[in-house]
Amino acid sequence: MAWIYLIIAGVGEVVGVLGINQVNQKKNTSSFLVLFGGFLLSFVFLSIAMETIPMSTAYAVWTGIGTVGSALVGMFVFGESKNWRRILFISMILLSAVGLKLIS
Amino acid sequence: MSDIVPGFYLDNYRGANNMKRDWNLVFIAGLFEIGWVVGLKHAYNIGTWVLTAIAIYMSMHLLIVATKRLPVGTTYAVFTGIGTAGTVIFEIAVFGEPFKLMKVFLILLLLYGVIGLKTITIETTDEGENA
Repeated sequence: MAWIYLIIAGVGEVVGVLGINQVNQKKNTSSFLVLFGGFLLSFVFLSIAMETIPMSTAYAVWTGIGTVGSALVGMFVFGESKNWRRILFISMILLSAVGLKLIS
Repeated sequence: MSDIVPGFYLDNYRGANNMKRDWNLVFIAGLFEIGWVVGLKHAYNIGTWVLTAIAIYMSMHLLIVATKRLPVGTTYAVFTGIGTAGTVIFEIAVFGEPFKLMKVFLILLLLYGVIGLKTITIETTDEGENA
């Protein structure tokens, strides 16, 4: 069950990132609700997941879902570049951030 | 700080200058992220909790401003990366976390990714300005 909570936390982060773009397009209450709701959901479920899953693992998976999710949302929802070099560089950052969280 | 000065955005001022400014905002947002990650872990009284809250607010605010023109997927990856690497360096330097060669390698890989993204990113224009 903790892993499901962790996935919800990761998805919450992506919702928060969606909210960032939403706020840029329309500064209204619902945009801010998506922004804060997403990140709040994310933090709450991350801390619940951390009761069972070791902290470094939980952080690493959470970061991974957030980064990959935001990149995919950018490409498929907001029409951002699908250039292979962009994907490569984002993957490098992803690999490094996940690695650092696993070994710290 | 984040407010748009109308005259600044005219014609050929656009481009390189804005881009540099937006990337700087992402880096500063990353620095604030280090602040609140460390704060969440180590805050011990009202003052340090208030600073942590300010850091959360500032990092979010700067991220929102930067993604007006930079792609959100790229920005978020760089933001996360700076936050992670910075926190690792900070904890080694201040809290005596063990120094590992693997950490250095991963931080270099991260830098390579960030610099790579900076060189290939093209900014979108603001909504409304060219409508």
